[in-house]
Amino acid sequence: MRRFNWLLALVCAGFLSLAPWPAAHAADPDKVLHYAFVAPETGFDPAVTRDLYSAEVIQSIFETLYTYDYLARPAKLVPQTAVALPEITDGGKTYTIHLKRGIYFSPDPAFGGKPRELTMADYVYSFERLLDPKLASPHSWLFEGKVVGFDEAAARARETGHFDYDAPIPGFELVDRYTLRIHLKHPDYNLGMILAHEPTSAVAREVIEKYRDASGQVMAHPVGTGAYLLSKWVRGSRIVLTANPGYRGFIWNFKAGSDPGDRAIVAAMRGKRMPQIGKVDIRIMVEDQSRWLAFLDRQIDLLELEGPLAPKALVDGHLRPELAAKGIRLSRIIDPEISYYYWNMQDPVVGGLSPAKIALRRAIAMAYDVQEEINVVWNGEAVPLQYPIPPGVVGYDPDYVSSVHYHPRLANALLDRYGYRRGADGYRTLPDGKPLTITYTARTDSNGTQESEMWKKTFDSIGIRMASNLMQFPDILKAEKECHLQMRTSPWIADYPDGDNFMQLFYGPNIHQNNNGCTEIPAYDRRYEASQRLPDGPERDRLYHQMARILEVDAPILIGYARYRNMLAQPDVIGYKKHPILHCEWLYFDMTKPKRDRSSTP
Amino acid sequence: MTAYIVRRLWQMLPTLLGVVLLVFVLFNWVGGDPAYILAGKMSNPQQIANIRAQLGIDQPYYVQLWIFLKQIASFNFGASWSTGETVSHVLATRLGPSLTVLVPLTVMETVIAIGLALAVAYVRGSLTDRMVMIACTVGMSISILVYIIVFQYWLAYKMGLFPVQGWGDHFFDNLFRYSALPILIGLVVSIAPDLRLFRTFFLDEINQDYVRTARSKGLSEPRILWVHVLRNAAIPIVTYVMSNLPSLLIGEFLIERFFSIPGIGREVILAVERSDFPVIKAITVYVAAATMIFNLLADLLYQAIDPRVQLK
Repeated sequence: MRRFNWLLALVCAGFLSLAPWPAAHAADPDKVLHYAFVAPETGFDPAVTRDLYSAEVIQSIFETLYTYDYLARPAKLVPQTAVALPEITDGGKTYTIHLKRGIYFSPDPAFGGKPRELTMADYVYSFERLLDPKLASPHSWLFEGKVVGFDEAAARARETGHFDYDAPIPGFELVDRYTLRIHLKHPDYNLGMILAHEPTSAVAREVIEKYRDASGQVMAHPVGTGAYLLSKWVRGSRIVLTANPGYRGFIWNFKAGSDPGDRAIVAAMRGKRMPQIGKVDIRIMVEDQSRWLAFLDRQIDLLELEGPLAPKALVDGHLRPELAAKGIRLSRIIDPEISYYYWNMQDPVVGGLSPAKIALRRAIAMAYDVQEEINVVWNGEAVPLQYPIPPGVVGYDPDYVSSVHYHPRLANALLDRYGYRRGADGYRTLPDGKPLTITYTARTDSNGTQESEMWKKTFDSIGIRMASNLMQFPDILKAEKECHLQMRTSPWIADYPDGDNFMQLFYGPNIHQNNNGCTEIPAYDRRYEASQRLPDGPERDRLYHQMARILEVDAPILIGYARYRNMLAQPDVIGYKKHPILHCEWLYFDMTKPKRDRSSTP
Repeated sequence: MTAYIVRRLWQMLPTLLGVVLLVFVLFNWVGGDPAYILAGKMSNPQQIANIRAQLGIDQPYYVQLWIFLKQIASFNFGASWSTGETVSHVLATRLGPSLTVLVPLTVMETVIAIGLALAVAYVRGSLTDRMVMIACTVGMSISILVYIIVFQYWLAYKMGLFPVQGWGDHFFDNLFRYSALPILIGLVVSIAPDLRLFRTFFLDEINQDYVRTARSKGLSEPRILWVHVLRNAAIPIVTYVMSNLPSLLIGEFLIERFFSIPGIGREVILAVERSDFPVIKAITVYVAAATMIFNLLADLLYQAIDPRVQLK
């Protein structure tokens, strides 16, 4: 008998040793989340893709060192594959990060049938891919100008057209298999957030080398360490994710924030092993009506209410009673974004820092009714902002009040005072008597046309002749980066939820990158550089306040608004809350087991 | 016959070259620079230059045109700039869903329109004829968008007769379940103009001497209409149907967008939105080639329909 027990134990041990990916998660294959993307995905290579919908899938399959707390607002950084938040030393110039042990990539033939553990070398390889000139990654900015040796490696790669992955970059010091020390050129307290951005997700070099195409991309064969696997992909039509049986899982233990709905979420979710959802079935439905009817028909469980759909479901920002009666719930946040209006500071008519030019821009800013644009163009689905940093982002100040107010009469008086005289036709001229016409550029879509009409009305109210210039988006981007546009409304959504991501928009050296108004104000730039050396706190906030006042006084921009993001959830969805930064929230919520007939869904 | 086909195929080359030049000039003139989109929102001039180099759009125009011509000759248009998917795979996977809707739609549309047109041509000038013509005019005045929105809301969502949208994995599921409403909408939209046009073809024939002769010989009206009149009116009908086929493939895009059908029409719109030149140029060239080939097929069919037609 004892011999039999030993034999049994040996057999069991043998089986266990063959199973390096323990079935740790609790995902139920019967719990299927049906979801719709508004636009088609492009692919699932973290280094290359840049659209929101591909990012949602990438976050499900791959993992970054850090992520965000599901409930905390503003967004709070937490470890994902890292053991803890980074140890920041050397005055913000050195980050030491320890990796959790025993995390494995999902099985793939590229690994030769062996379990493949995630190590820090995978992260370094993934970071270096952002530099590869062949890939032409849109995310190289994440480390450019920051990591020691990174720019030099990029320059070498550009010269040779080939990136040498075996040549170490001094800024990425691999202390051991599980420890990475990042050396920065300058203090930077936002690197943790950069390391939570999905382009920095870990990929395995073997997978990339086995499946890459001619340009080095692996768009169709994602292999990561994350909670889900790509089990079906019909490009531009359907994406099916199934729970990764080897995923280590975690216990849901988030703390309720100030939002009154948080306590119900905590009560429903606390202590559950995650993920709970076994399958995510994503359809691409580009038309609003199709998505709306599919949601009402219960073919999809979560619906993003894009602008034109909002009035169908909401009244004054609240769910319509007939929808609430069906048990449908609304999760509504202000997106971490700003839309601002800029004037090209290099333009001979509207640019420059002379009193007359500043007066011209301030007058235009005072004549524009942001609230009216929100009502007319955005169906009321936006909030006017006072500050360049929007709500939900570290550094936002809810008590800040801008000194620029809607006041067309004062705007006219200011123009009169600085010599912008009205001619016989009612339109003003420049102080030197030359004609004054300002060209507003917008996209050719309906929103662009409406915005253009709003601005025409504004310019007419202060006697300035406006020309409308409707352009295709790529042409706008090109003209903008070359500082050729005179004026435009520019949106910006956070890459990471820190005020720095917004304040850098007006930093002089970022001209030709994302400083679209080509703003260069020395007083602003000095303060921005000082703010970069500081962690979040009162000292940095004080600098941000000063910078915001400089933007109001010199008026290179007018701060506009941030739009709401509304998500509707069917009654089956448990514990859902829209996160301002995370895309892949199905890792954090649950569903009831299906009882309804889904016959209309294949 | 073979000599005729070879000559016609040979004559297609200058036309195709004209299309290629037009596409190339249009894209480079109004198409926008895709490098600015692909570079992302935090890009700098070096990155944009690198992307332009990777895409080959930093080359002189004559080099780009030569590459384009080589791609056409080798049927290899490379990969999509946005997704990295090879263009051949894009076409291979999107063509099936489009044809699943298009083929039954075209067959049904043609048969129904011919039947109705013959019927109203037979009762020409009557109240029925006038009422049908008025209904056709009204039907043609309404945009396809209205039909899609109304039919999707009422027939699919409210009455549950069809799925609201979707596309499955199996051909018959797609044909009988998901394509049913798109085909119905396609029929409603296309039958009215087809009926009016075909009616005029039949009216031209009905007053011919051979019809009077057939009647005097005692042939039944159905036989006169379905055999003699239809055969003589078939040539303009074939011309119309064949020349419309390639454009229908692209023109289906609204139906494909609303019903989430992963077809060619939707792909074209997406490629234009993304300035994805490899996909745009491949589809444009193939549609141009298909148009010419369908025209050739129509010419060949003329002879099958009417032996008096000589192909020279």
